[in-house]
This record gives sequence, C-alpha cells and structure tokens, in this order.
Amino acid sequence: MEEQIDSVGKAFVDHYYHLFDNDRPAMSSLYQPTSMLTFEGHKLQGVEDIITKLTQLPFDQCRRVISTVDSQPALVTGGIVVFVSGSLQLPGENHPLQFSQMFHLSPTPQGNFFVLNDIFRLNY
Amino acid sequence: MDPDAVAKAFVDHYYSTFDANRAGLANLYQEGSMLTFEGQKIQGSQSIVAKLTSLPFQQCKHNITTVDCQPSGAGGVLVFVSGTLQLAGEQHALKFSQMFHLMPTPQGSFYVLNDIFRLNYA
Repeated sequence: MEEQIDSVGKAFVDHYYHLFDNDRPAMSSLYQPTSMLTFEGHKLQGVEDIITKLTQLPFDQCRRVISTVDSQPALVTGGIVVFVSGSLQLPGENHPLQFSQMFHLSPTPQGNFFVLNDIFRLNY
Repeated sequence: MDPDAVAKAFVDHYYSTFDANRAGLANLYQEGSMLTFEGQKIQGSQSIVAKLTSLPFQQCKHNITTVDCQPSGAGGVLVFVSGTLQLAGEQHALKFSQMFHLMPTPQGSFYVLNDIFRLNYA
C-alpha cells in the first residue's frame, strides 16, 4: 500500500512538472472547479484562474531539480498528499532558488486523481 | 470554520509546544496519524511522539516565515509552513518546510492526520 502511494505520488510529480515545462495550458486537465492554488501567497480557485496564473509565470527556461518527494495517503479524504522540495535555476541568475510545493490529490470517479489543493513557496 | 484562523492557531500551538515540551504534542496525533520526518515514515501518536522526543537536540526554536492554508474538503485544513530552526549551540539556523493535514475531532478541535517535514538544504 505504501509503495503504491509513493509511486502514485512520484508519477504525478513527474507528469505535473513535465506539463509545466512543455505544455502549460494542458495542465487544465489536472484541476477542477473546486481546485485551489496558492502561489507565493496569492490565492486562486478554479481551472481558468489557475491556468491563467500558471501560463503567465515567467519560468520559461528554468532548470528544475527535484530533491525530495514525500507522499502519504489522506485516508479520511481518500486522497494523497504529496510534498516536493527542489530548486529552480532561472537564466541569468547566479544562484538557484529553492522551492517547496504541496499537493492534495483527490480521486475522480474514473479512478484518476485531480489536484484539489496546490501550494507553492520559494524558500528564501 | 475559518481555515486561516484554524491554521494560525494550530501553527502557534504546535511550534510553541514543540519548542517547550515535545511530549506535549501527543494529543495532536491519533492512531491513524502519519509523520514523514526527513523521509522516515512513522504512524500513530505513540511512535510519532517517540520519534520527536528522541531527536538529537535538547533545545530548539522554530521561527516561522510563511504559513499558507487551504480547506481540503471533508472539513479538513491543509497547512504549509516554511521557516528556520535554531538548535541550541549551533551557529547557523536550519531552513525547513512542513505540511500538516488537519482533520476535525468530534469535540470541535483538530488533530494532525498527515505531517511531512523536510529540511531545506542549499
């Protein structure tokens, strides 16, 4: 059970950042009307507002390194919480920026997960 | 239920209890609670508190930089914290991030269902 949660978490993280780096508008498939994103303290809800925010972010040519991915079942909700830490190297910047991000994945009737909660913070 | 108020009250209580008397954290966890501490997975209030009280430092002080929260559905609250941890005798504070998934109790308070802690190394 534990390994299953870990592999779902890891597969999700790979998919999320792959879309972020290659096809940000396609991230709309990850969110639903109830989804919430807090990006550096800025709160958004719903697919449209979230995708608008994500597609506006400058990180176009950034190099991301994922350092850690931790996952746990959120037994009461039937979902999975995923906690990511890593760094972003932006072009022109001397030093990479550290970041942390957490997701709460909620099950869909089709047996997939969508992102109900998404919180991103740079760690200065 | 105001998630921001719940998150603020929880964070204040959690870290002041942690810094003063780690054993006092026991009533924040239940049997189904899970902690992942620097990659190590622990379940249940007893084992979690045993882990936290056995951490290799006597005195510490958490300084909280950011607290973000969102409702998680089913009355729960997700809390995402970043800050620094100053250990007694150490010259430099350690940066950390931590997430909590709080669930309501019948008595009207909250317990920690999920807890994940990571130090943020440069």
